[in-house]
Amino acid sequence: MITFSLNGEPVRFNGDPSTPLLWVIRDDFKLKGSKFGCGAGLCGACTMHLDGTAIKTCVLPVAAAADKAVTTIEGLGNPEDLHPLQTAWIEHNVPQCGYCQSGQIMAAAALIADKPSASSEDVDNAMSGNICRCGCYPRIKAAIMSVAASALSYDAAATEANS
Amino acid sequence: MSNQTLSRRHFLKASGMVGGGIVVAVALPGCAFKGPHPIEVTDAGFVPNAFLQITPDNHVTFYCPSDEMGQGIRTGLATIVGEELDVNPATMLVKAAGSHEDYNNPEFRVQGTGGSNAVRVFYEPLRQVGADTRALLLNAASLDLGIPADQLLTADGFIVAGDRRYPYGDFVETASSLEMPIATELKAPSRFKYIGADAPRVDALAKATGTANFGIDADVPGMVYAVVVRPPVAGSKALSFDDSTARVAPGVLAVVPVSSGVAVVAERYWQANQAAKKLTIDWEETPLSTVTSEQVRQDLSAALEADNDTESTRAGDPEKAFADADAGTILETDYYAPFLAHAPMEPLNATLRITEDGADLWTGVQFVGAAQGVLERLTGLPRGNIKIHNQFLGGGFGRRATLSHIVEVAEIALSVDKPVQLLWSREDDLRHGFYRPAAMMKIKAAADSEGHITAWQARRSGANISAQTFKNALPGVLPNLPTGLLNGLAGAMDYVFKNWAVDGSSVEGLHETYSLPSYQVSHASVDHGLPTTFWRSVGHSYTSFAVESMMDELAEAKQLDPVALRLKNLNDKPRMQNVVAEAGQLMAAMTVPENHHLGFAAHSSFGTDVAQIAEVSVTEGQIRVHKVTCVVDCGLAVNPDIVTAQLEGAVMFALTAALYGSIDLEGGAVVQSNFHNYPILRMNESPAVDVVIIESETPPTGIGEPGVPPLAPAVANAVYRATGQRLRDLPLQLA
Repeated sequence: MITFSLNGEPVRFNGDPSTPLLWVIRDDFKLKGSKFGCGAGLCGACTMHLDGTAIKTCVLPVAAAADKAVTTIEGLGNPEDLHPLQTAWIEHNVPQCGYCQSGQIMAAAALIADKPSASSEDVDNAMSGNICRCGCYPRIKAAIMSVAASALSYDAAATEANS
Repeated sequence: MSNQTLSRRHFLKASGMVGGGIVVAVALPGCAFKGPHPIEVTDAGFVPNAFLQITPDNHVTFYCPSDEMGQGIRTGLATIVGEELDVNPATMLVKAAGSHEDYNNPEFRVQGTGGSNAVRVFYEPLRQVGADTRALLLNAASLDLGIPADQLLTADGFIVAGDRRYPYGDFVETASSLEMPIATELKAPSRFKYIGADAPRVDALAKATGTANFGIDADVPGMVYAVVVRPPVAGSKALSFDDSTARVAPGVLAVVPVSSGVAVVAERYWQANQAAKKLTIDWEETPLSTVTSEQVRQDLSAALEADNDTESTRAGDPEKAFADADAGTILETDYYAPFLAHAPMEPLNATLRITEDGADLWTGVQFVGAAQGVLERLTGLPRGNIKIHNQFLGGGFGRRATLSHIVEVAEIALSVDKPVQLLWSREDDLRHGFYRPAAMMKIKAAADSEGHITAWQARRSGANISAQTFKNALPGVLPNLPTGLLNGLAGAMDYVFKNWAVDGSSVEGLHETYSLPSYQVSHASVDHGLPTTFWRSVGHSYTSFAVESMMDELAEAKQLDPVALRLKNLNDKPRMQNVVAEAGQLMAAMTVPENHHLGFAAHSSFGTDVAQIAEVSVTEGQIRVHKVTCVVDCGLAVNPDIVTAQLEGAVMFALTAALYGSIDLEGGAVVQSNFHNYPILRMNESPAVDVVIIESETPPTGIGEPGVPPLAPAVANAVYRATGQRLRDLPLQLA
């Protein structure tokens, strides 16, 4: 049996430990926000956080999540309590078909948590594992940069206040 | 030679009429509903027509007849109906319409989404729906309030009487007993407040929170999961198979032969996926089994050299015009485009529950009417008892207008007698798809010394697009036609397009953009048996590459500016002339770094005119596109921000094809299998995109596809300026 934390709640999985985490989350825990795109870790539609790190879960055996914290798009924010990136996504009218966007937002959220005032180059580097077939890249980038810019101005304000 | 062209539009129209019964395009308010009510009313709402529901607590729901695959159609059509109803589209609940003929696409005469036509064909009918419903609510309010209707106004979902405001919901009970006004006068565009204004997409919140439901997210109690192992070579049948290890693998419930291969059914998707690898299948050899990409290219070239293609369209006397031209100045050049896959992010899937009384299908499909028909044919259930729960489509691009996965899930569900979810893998998607066909194009052109084109001949060889699409759709469009007749009809269509008529979709775009005093377009059908279908912008996706490369080649031969040459050949195309002139001015004013070069292209498709300027650099043989500027005239832009997004997305989609896209064959099998060898443009390779929308009050035209065609030639024309190499093959690769 494998135990891990899913969006803050302890959960147990009794099936085949080699099952990719994505399918355990989707088919057993019925959280459908994370998507299947390639099954080979090439497109990022399945991106979740494992102990805060963005990870492609279509190739990650559920056993690798044992005793760790898994966060999905459902745990990041919800329509009543949006993560700042989700707010930015709506403000920039980012999604088209929308299928890849959970993965895009999870990858971006890990970046912003790590580098709150990420640069344009940081964004390109962090996001190039996530494919958007509709080609929403200009808006994805603008949305992330708007959150990074507000972090930058927050940092500047905090620095000023502390000086 | 014959002179008959059937376009995609004609094909869809014709198939709807042949089917019988599919006749009324849009149920205008006041018309009785045909068959079971398409809207499942869950509370005491007022349903004045198939598209709207208004509840006493003033919630307005709009049932969107077109499928949302990213193009923003739920927002666009909600804006159109909301404008005349006088309800802010942002406050409406927008749902996918059920499966019912009231939602037929007015042009296709069957429920479906494609051809970039949804805003264009629903623009007037849905405004009328909104206007008539608003008039009805005014009449009801007049009765209830005892105030003449002409003394009442509306404002954002409220009836306004002097300084008092009453929600529409207050009057739905009275409204439901009144007759629906018809042909209510529509607003003048100058009074629009939602149409033409930027507004958030109605699906943005759901898509930013992972709460938007796609077909793959369907979860039906008791459902089992299926995968299908298909032949490496399209159309080949299983001669025999050994399922002795697959059948006993963990979770496996059944191994089922289906018409497209062998299905493995298990308790969980991953179990089915793993067990499928344990099947050993002996596939038959077919004529396609020896075909390679090199052979396809040679055969397409040979077909044009054989010079017995079928004429599609002509004007003037091109033979005489070529004879009159200075022979030394006639250009004749070949351009080539390979097979391409759509690769939508959401792999194909379908979830089907069949009971004694009916069937429910959860999927994302561009062709709801045909999906319903396929299930009618395969299950024998009455059409009215088959419900299509169309979900958000995780990308379409034409791929979700095909029905093979619907056939598969029906065959499996009938066999296992349980609800089934069928899921394709990415490998399935790339290797067993329907493809944008390869195309060899030979363009011959003559121009006078000032750059006016005097003679134009454009020839294309390759698989025709419509016959195969028709064959795939036919069982669903004509659900009651016996199989023998069905095969006969599909065969007849195939024969017609191979022998005496030209499939208009296969040659579209070879002459239409320009004013040509004489031209001839012709086609040689060469079909190796790889399934083909519509791919975002269809024939335009390759014809624009040939035509717009040739325009730059002509300009160089005449020592003219490429934009100036185009402007000289747009005399009776004022809208495109304006787009090209506007883009030309922007290009002339651009300053770029020394090693960056600009390329220009323009193309008309789906009623919309687009010009693009690509800013490109080439470093060590690598092509890098830094920025693309688009100028578009699509008539009135219902939501300019969504128009902009469609062009941004079209640039990325087309750039993927221009730089990387190729589906190759070895031994008849598709070589590409996943995103490592069928790469999709990523953020770090993506250009900036600027979009200029020409202001217009003329009715809207298409926007989902027209941004695709000009991109590849704009980049190729820039690469020529950067390197002196004229690349006439896609994808663009430097020597």
